[in-house]
Amino acid sequence: MESTDTFPVVTVNFPDALRTKVGNHRTVTASGRTVREIIDALEQVYPGLRFHLCYETGDLRAFVNVFLDKENIRYLRGLDTLVTDGTTLRIMQSVAGG
Amino acid sequence: MAHQQTYRPGTILVLVGTKRGLFLLTSRDRENWNVEATSLRASRVFSAVLDQRKGYRLFAADNGDFFGTFLRYSDDFGETWQEPEQGIQFPQGSDQKLTNIWVIEPGRQSEPGVVYAGVDPASLWVSTDDGNTWVINEALNSHPTRPRWEPGAGGLCLHSIIADPSNASRMWIGISAVGCMRTDDGGKSWVFANKNTRASFLPDIYPEFGQCIHHVIQHPTQPDTLYQQNHCGIYKSLNAGEDWIDIQQDLPSEFGFPIALDVHHPDTVFTVVEDPAARNNVGSQFTVYRTRDAGASWEPLTEGLPVGDGVRLGVLRQAMCTDTLDPCGIYVGTNTGQLFASHDQGGSWHLIADFLPSIYSVTAAVLV
Repeated sequence: MESTDTFPVVTVNFPDALRTKVGNHRTVTASGRTVREIIDALEQVYPGLRFHLCYETGDLRAFVNVFLDKENIRYLRGLDTLVTDGTTLRIMQSVAGG
Repeated sequence: MAHQQTYRPGTILVLVGTKRGLFLLTSRDRENWNVEATSLRASRVFSAVLDQRKGYRLFAADNGDFFGTFLRYSDDFGETWQEPEQGIQFPQGSDQKLTNIWVIEPGRQSEPGVVYAGVDPASLWVSTDDGNTWVINEALNSHPTRPRWEPGAGGLCLHSIIADPSNASRMWIGISAVGCMRTDDGGKSWVFANKNTRASFLPDIYPEFGQCIHHVIQHPTQPDTLYQQNHCGIYKSLNAGEDWIDIQQDLPSEFGFPIALDVHHPDTVFTVVEDPAARNNVGSQFTVYRTRDAGASWEPLTEGLPVGDGVRLGVLRQAMCTDTLDPCGIYVGTNTGQLFASHDQGGSWHLIADFLPSIYSVTAAVLV
């Protein structure tokens, strides 16, 4: 099994609506090479979190945005976007209401 | 748990699911009502129901706009909510994804831990432990005709569930726009039950399936008798859905969503029909219709209901119900946030709540 010791470690910032799902933290850290792996890693620690972010198909929910620093990953490589050590992922809900 | 001491037995409790949250209305006399918001404030609640088979457990469909759809339950009348340990989710990596939970129905009295739920995409989910874990009905999900099922405007939603109290192996479900289906073997297989119901929007207007059923209910003492409000008519079956009889009679429209009956006088059935294009009252009078002869004739009920050129009220699929008292109460919620109630079988009506968000679902219970 591949060691995750050398994988990038990122900070993940959660909106209010999801903080109860991650131990009432505003931010947590996780390691992985891509956004998908970060979500997978978080799911191990916080079971059920992934369903809030992704459909069962594995796709990111339509009105969930993930920003790698200030870049929306939809305009990068989506969940396969590579992350680098020390970066921040911000999970935010889409603007709604026009 | 504090609320369980607050609401005395005999209290009438009406759960109102809306576009933005779940509300509780309570009354001792059906004349004076108290309106309370639950802590479900932001989600679209298509269904909510009180299960009194083991104390008081309130189930709600929490259809979120952003972070997913969840069935939740509350044992303190909506102050706090729990998520099931294993909720309604398709397997990871599936080609299906949960869109909305449309209906939650407690099971038979003879199966006290069983709860059913219907969702979009059309599937039936079953819990045998009071809602804590859920499994999908595989026979329906892999039905050989499924690739040819087409959604209605509201989605491919399973919105009606009847677990026959007289036969533990028999159930009916309603799916838009697939039709009525029945199992006679406890969910191992499903057959269509749509004969003589129209699908006017298809080239073959009497197909085996493809009908846009809107709601189906069962007679409480004649278990083979069903009523359904459909996109294309209102129908009665006397043989468990083997075929259906058109009972639109003199109703001014064939189109409507809700249907409910008086459990003490089950030939008395209520519906609201609408202008099919405008999706609100036909003409300027908001009207509930009642039959007292099992659909042989209908009468308009209007006393206390609004009238005028500016009255354009729609009633959605789950937004009408009856209570279990005699004379029965009827509760009708509108898509503009009014809740009308009658406690005399529809003879007169009162506005018991206003300014709510658009009402999606209404259920009533008398606390035991």
